[in-house]
Amino acid sequence: MIVAEGKPVEKILEMVAPFKKVLIAGCRGCVTVCLTGGEKEVGILASQIRMARSKDGNPIEILEQTEERQCDAEYNAKFLENVEQVDAIVSLACGIGIQYLGEKYPATPIFPGVNTLMLGANIDVGKWEERCMACGDCVLDKTGGICPITRCSKSLLNGPCGGSQYGKCEVSTPAKEDIPCGWQLIYDRLSALGQLDKMKEIIPSKNWLRAKGPRTYVREDLTLDRS
Amino acid sequence: MTITNIRIGIYLCDCDGKVSKNVDLSKVKTAIQSQAEFEYIREADVVCGTAEQEKVAAEIDKYSLNRLLIVGCNDPFITRKFVQLAEEKGINRYSVEFLDLSAVNSVEAAVSAINSRLGKLHLREQIGYEELAVTPDVLVIGSGSEAAAVAKAISKNQPVVRIDHETKKVVGVDGFPGNFTVRLLENGKTSKHSFGAIVLALGAQPQYDAAKYGGVNLDERTLSLSQFINADKNYAGKKISFVLGKADADSLLSFAAVLKSSLDLKGKGASEVDVIYDDMKVCADGLEQEYELARKKGVNFLKYDGEFQINSASDGATFQYREPFLPIEATRVAADYLVLAEDFVPVAATQELAEILDIRTGPGGWFQKDNVHFLPIKSNRAYILFVGSCHGPIHGTDLYNEIEAVVAEVSAFAKGKAQVPSLQPRVEAKKCAVCLTCYRCCPHHAIEIVHGDEYDNMYNSAARMNPLACQRCGICAGECPGKAIQLPLYSDQEVLFEVKQPAKIVAYACENSGFLASEFAKTLDPQLQKALQIVEVPCSGKIDVIYLLKALENGADGVMLLVCHKENCKYVWGNNRAEQRKERAQALLNQVGLGDRIEFVHVAANQGNQFNAAVKEMAEKIRQSGTNPGKVVK
Repeated sequence: MIVAEGKPVEKILEMVAPFKKVLIAGCRGCVTVCLTGGEKEVGILASQIRMARSKDGNPIEILEQTEERQCDAEYNAKFLENVEQVDAIVSLACGIGIQYLGEKYPATPIFPGVNTLMLGANIDVGKWEERCMACGDCVLDKTGGICPITRCSKSLLNGPCGGSQYGKCEVSTPAKEDIPCGWQLIYDRLSALGQLDKMKEIIPSKNWLRAKGPRTYVREDLTLDRS
Repeated sequence: MTITNIRIGIYLCDCDGKVSKNVDLSKVKTAIQSQAEFEYIREADVVCGTAEQEKVAAEIDKYSLNRLLIVGCNDPFITRKFVQLAEEKGINRYSVEFLDLSAVNSVEAAVSAINSRLGKLHLREQIGYEELAVTPDVLVIGSGSEAAAVAKAISKNQPVVRIDHETKKVVGVDGFPGNFTVRLLENGKTSKHSFGAIVLALGAQPQYDAAKYGGVNLDERTLSLSQFINADKNYAGKKISFVLGKADADSLLSFAAVLKSSLDLKGKGASEVDVIYDDMKVCADGLEQEYELARKKGVNFLKYDGEFQINSASDGATFQYREPFLPIEATRVAADYLVLAEDFVPVAATQELAEILDIRTGPGGWFQKDNVHFLPIKSNRAYILFVGSCHGPIHGTDLYNEIEAVVAEVSAFAKGKAQVPSLQPRVEAKKCAVCLTCYRCCPHHAIEIVHGDEYDNMYNSAARMNPLACQRCGICAGECPGKAIQLPLYSDQEVLFEVKQPAKIVAYACENSGFLASEFAKTLDPQLQKALQIVEVPCSGKIDVIYLLKALENGADGVMLLVCHKENCKYVWGNNRAEQRKERAQALLNQVGLGDRIEFVHVAANQGNQFNAAVKEMAEKIRQSGTNPGKVVK
């Protein structure tokens, strides 16, 4: 799932400062699941902005709408009626949704209400951890199902660096939670699987071009000829 | 299911002059008539009287009323009577609302309160009853006498399976009350069985703690009480001395066992029996009589005080102590066998089963958290019940009371079906992202994810609350990021309707504590209530961040959350969730410079004065920070 966090409201207030009527657009996909951009958060942000603007003697009207996914044009079409009424949109979808909704309504300014953080797993209520960086060339088969690109702070491919101590990464800081050393995790998993010999295999340098955007992906077997 | 044709009858009861003393009811009636939507309205002097009740019954028929608003008092006796009348006339109890006007002293306030309640009645969905097929079979877990006693008692009504959790173990539980699927492991093989309810009667484990007896180790002549009882030897002609009070100081189990053993020994010809104690505990049914009987039969009761010394030899043991009442330095009791009371600790299976069943343990590792809201037999999961010493050593009448309570509870499934009001939260599948937040936050294991074409979203799936497992706290509804969950009687629409035109201070109050305290507080300081609006919620865990913001957005100057004391939420962690939400809402206000306007107060039902003190503090806080500048003028 894509994980995002709410943007500081002062930033959002700056973005909408010139406007009198704004749509806050939520998404029922990943950002609902990660508790950042569903109908609930749309309502909370709307209320907060309305109060902030009232306080400043500059009232704002806010419409609220949440649809299935902002990364699909058909769902974005549902925003039409409300978009037509407003001066600007604040989207609480991930970076993909924000842009894609904006593409649908090019005449209306759109602003991000969230910072898109990572592709992560929901460890427990309110906790997320990154598991994939979408590098485009998966090596999980060689590393016991643990991603060295994501889990190793340096994305090393062939074992840990000298900064791995007691299973922790040297990048860990007191302010942050300790980061486990990705290669320690890989070692432990391979060891549990009885596949430690895989550590001896040299993983060649990665083709990072596959990780660089803008990327596109087309499946000829599925594309629809609409002519 | 919403009734399209809502026909509300309003009764303005003077409650024998109590209301008209402060408010002119006919003016209230006129005001309501001019603005509200309803079918019928009239005044009455004492609407709960027999003649009036008959009249109301006739009016329900005449005007085809299907919802009632009784304005006057909300005395439980009266409300029960009205609910009964309404149900006899086919009006569901959830379609009857009561409004207490005794503390209201202006027509405007009365009209506003009535309108608010009327609005809620209009918004309320019709609550039906569901009949569910259930398994009458009950699983009793435990090998001791407590388990045997409860199994025997239940078996009079319905089938019981008793397992010891040793030769046959529980390794997993799925499903919901009425239809738990229990996986049992026996001889290395697992099998699945269906049970309606699960009763834990694991008992307690005696454990000898040498430290309590100055490091004395047990041997042939110095025995622990359980060793003595289990050995069941012939002690004819021998002298036995029991020592009580050093261990198991908090329960009566050892005292009861020692008294029983003393009488047995006397009956079987022991030469002499001593009971050496510091404080004799007989505060349970029958123990006092046994104590008296033991004295009559010649058991010696010897009181010690403070230090003592135990010496054990191959032919007997001695207990040397200070007698508190005689001017003697030391007294020495010599016996053939010295029997020392032990502590009781939870059996090993307690923790294991707590994890498998996801039920909670409290201090000392016993089942159940220390929480004033939990009845002794209840766990955090419906129809997973405790009996006996597995939730702390109990004895005698307490045990029998618990057995009786458990029998009554599980008998709800004895006929293979159960009727329950359909009060569990509803999930609007279209809005459900199947994110599992509700599932994870439910303290009662009442939620499942179901799949099917009828669920109108991209996953064809949605969360569903089980009506037998759900305890209607509304924590799930407060958590849902998609606003897909609504708790009947407390839907967002209903709650937010109440704060459309809020008072200066809105207090969201848990019905188990804050709301009751507010009722009490009214009688202590009626003046204070003027600027205060109480919004009742079933649990503070239902108080959504948006509830706090909306009250302020709509014009309140301050919002309060009145919640149960820490560790005392009836729904395990509702008050903790409420506190986290308060922190978030306050942070949201701080971010936009609206100041300190949210107060979080732990209060118990009987703390009316604390309640008022908190309201005063809130009022003072508002006075200092000024009127809420965030109010949105519509």
